[in-house]
Amino acid sequence: MSLSERKKAIKLSADLAMASTRNKATRWSRALIANASSDGNSNKVLTEHVLGSSSPSQRVRKSFTTYSHSVRIRSCRNILRRNRVVHRTKDRVVACFAAKKLVQKRTRRLKSLLPGGKSMDDVCLVEETLDYIQSLRAQVEVMRCLVTASELMILNPS
Amino acid sequence: MLHCANTLGDMTVLERMKWQEEEAFCSGFSSVFCSSSSSSSSLHVHDSIMLAAESGSALAEVVAQANVQAHAQAHVSPSISRTFSCPPTLVEPDPKPKPKPKPKPKPTDSSIGIKKRKPDNPKFVAENDSSKDKRIKVGADDGESKITGHPNREEEDTKQNSKVSDYIHVRARRGQATDSHSLAERVRREKISERMKYLQDLVPGCNKITGKAGMLDEIINYVQSLQRQVEFLSMKLAAVNPRLDFSVDDLFHKEVVPACSVNFPNMGVPSDITNYLQFNLPQQQQIASYGGLVTGINPSDMGLRRTISAPVSMPETYLHSSSCFTQTLPSSTWEGDFQNICNFDFDQARSPSFPSQFFSGLVEAGNLKMEM
Repeated sequence: MSLSERKKAIKLSADLAMASTRNKATRWSRALIANASSDGNSNKVLTEHVLGSSSPSQRVRKSFTTYSHSVRIRSCRNILRRNRVVHRTKDRVVACFAAKKLVQKRTRRLKSLLPGGKSMDDVCLVEETLDYIQSLRAQVEVMRCLVTASELMILNPS
Repeated sequence: MLHCANTLGDMTVLERMKWQEEEAFCSGFSSVFCSSSSSSSSLHVHDSIMLAAESGSALAEVVAQANVQAHAQAHVSPSISRTFSCPPTLVEPDPKPKPKPKPKPKPTDSSIGIKKRKPDNPKFVAENDSSKDKRIKVGADDGESKITGHPNREEEDTKQNSKVSDYIHVRARRGQATDSHSLAERVRREKISERMKYLQDLVPGCNKITGKAGMLDEIINYVQSLQRQVEFLSMKLAAVNPRLDFSVDDLFHKEVVPACSVNFPNMGVPSDITNYLQFNLPQQQQIASYGGLVTGINPSDMGLRRTISAPVSMPETYLHSSSCFTQTLPSSTWEGDFQNICNFDFDQARSPSFPSQFFSGLVEAGNLKMEM
């Protein structure tokens, strides 16, 4: 097994472990598990054994809910766009537009960073980010401990 | 117990942080509150924490501990155990009592008179004398003033939120726009900014930045750096592990072979390494029993536990034996788990088809868990 393969496997199992601690309560963990199990053949087998049997019906339900969610968001946005026609001075409008664009760009980037972030609205995104950052921190902590421990083991095997 | 552990896992970070703020606010009343209302819940919570501690070697527990530590660092609170665990029990009963105090004073008001209202509230507080009820009183007061001064639509809107801070803000800006869409939009923005505040506390170096764009930038950078750190660390582990295998092999011969009390599953393992293993240590494989594996049950642990009872190779057996020393030597157990997962993965990659014995082992472990 090559180094990159090992690394991939280690990362996958670390991510799955992180996701399984959240017990499918958060969207990012579910998305992470779904991504891992739909990614490749060997990955699928591994994820099923790490997480036990994740029922396919649940996955179907989840995709359905996300679909309806996105539709709802779109309709809301249309409504907001209609409401946005207000009397304002021109420069204020331009400034407002620029600021909004900036925020939108960053929001999109954050969505691409979060697992399963594509189907989240803004409120949900911020909540999930909170949770995800907390878990990532814990993961980094654990992995750092692992690395130091294994290095210690090599240095003095007794 | 199981239910408690479930709620522990389901709780979001946001709820925890919110609760911690409340805790900091009400810390003066904490002793009364604890003794009067939620002593049983806190006991449950202690149980669940003990359970998590018992379950020992699983990675999940380690992560949970790290979470607790992170929280303790973020907010210096008097008692970690309560801050960690009470929220699900506290948050739920909170909205329920809120409507109750409103109807209670009103009949007395109508029968006796308006002047009676002021003595009524202190009486209500004196009944229970806890911080929670004080908060309820505040909510009731606000609710009354809101009802007298506002149209129905806003009331509905605030009912949806069921949070004090939200509807105060909506009320303050009532003059601007009152149609339901802009109200909903405002509430949404409120929610986002509130969560952003929590996020600001969480991300280091985000306190000084004002403006949503800058904050988002900082958050993105932080998340990216964390993800890159994970990548780097997994790379490092992958580089370290092959050497580790050999060293652990030696260790295994030295230390674990004499210790016959080690429990580990007897399973068919589809790999070259384990063939070598079985050739070397047939007796050890015979002794195997599942008892040692199924000490503590935590639903969030299930998956990880399964990996532990999965195909075993030489280094794992050694490291598994070290899981008895979870309290004293945490680092070695983490290593054991991780090693476990990795080796498992390698086995999978080599042969996708498993012998039937392996599955039967899994089933048996599952049964034992059910019995517990």
